[in-house]
Amino acid sequence: MLLVAPVRAGDVVVEVNPASGLSTWRMEDEAFSIELIQLLPDFIRAVFASKGLPQEVIDAVSSYCVFGTIVRNRSAAPLSYNVADWRYLTADGVAHTGKTKAAWVSEWHDMGIAFRWTLLPEAQTFEVGDWGQGFTTVGLPPGTRFDLHFGWSQHGKAIHHIIKDMQCAPEDIEK
Amino acid sequence: MRLKILKNRWILLIAVLLPGALPVAQEAIPELSYQLTRLEVPVAAPGFELADMDGKTHRLEDYRGNWVLINFWATWCPPCRKEMPSLEQLYQAYHDRSFRVLAVNQWEDVDHVFSYMGELNVFPSFPILFDPESKISEAYGVRGLPTSFIIDPQGRIAYRAVGGREFDHPEVIRLIEGLLAP
Repeated sequence: MLLVAPVRAGDVVVEVNPASGLSTWRMEDEAFSIELIQLLPDFIRAVFASKGLPQEVIDAVSSYCVFGTIVRNRSAAPLSYNVADWRYLTADGVAHTGKTKAAWVSEWHDMGIAFRWTLLPEAQTFEVGDWGQGFTTVGLPPGTRFDLHFGWSQHGKAIHHIIKDMQCAPEDIEK
Repeated sequence: MRLKILKNRWILLIAVLLPGALPVAQEAIPELSYQLTRLEVPVAAPGFELADMDGKTHRLEDYRGNWVLINFWATWCPPCRKEMPSLEQLYQAYHDRSFRVLAVNQWEDVDHVFSYMGELNVFPSFPILFDPESKISEAYGVRGLPTSFIIDPQGRIAYRAVGGREFDHPEVIRLIEGLLAP
């Protein structure tokens, strides 16, 4: 259980795209790095529409708070992560869980859709040099602020990190 | 927490997929790595029979006796696009020494992929195969793209790499040289 593990205060870098105003959060530990990129609902609609998926799927995913997410094993030993353990802690004290790739794929499967790409695999063991990227989703409204509690495990030990004051992308970019 | 204004680090990638989306949506093309993981116990590679861009059928068993690098990819996947030229370089360097490359596309059609290939400086000369319903990638346990495997001459999975790789990196070259050494 990640929330009882020791918390590390990694160095978090926030970058703001001057053209779009969208933000990226990046944290690098000795073993693990993560990068979370705000994505607009319109962008998500366009991505899923380009895959030929039905409007129902497009509307469902784009109604979520979505981040382009890149995770990487930077160490010389295997490590594991599990998105289902991540928590999005909002100002009202509620710890929200994200909707995992497995949950989305299960829904799509029930709709007769075999598509299973673009989302970050919910749990993986990364060998040396392995990394991955994909969308992570949480059911929060556009613009919601939260602290992300996340982690990974290595050598049987769970590592817990927090990225404070993240924010879902707005519904649209202000002109 | 530091705040740093974005400079030139991000590459505007989505233009390829969604020309109208810029500069609203941007995506990084992360750095590729180069390590491949050797399976301690090689396992039989799932067989397949897939069509290439010309409709010709390729069966994995037809490649028995060669080392075969199978790369699962898609055009919308940034690291897949980034590693493709190095895959071609590797293939060019070793295809005459019992080393083959098969790029297995996911969820896209021939026209779309052909159009993408036209954007590359070098058109890949290894077969591009189509796995439109991702059944083969599922059989290989592929969770995300790109994922690559090296199949040994006996048809067993010997190495695996999750995420994009620099296939022309000296360490990869050293590995392949070692595999092909008499």
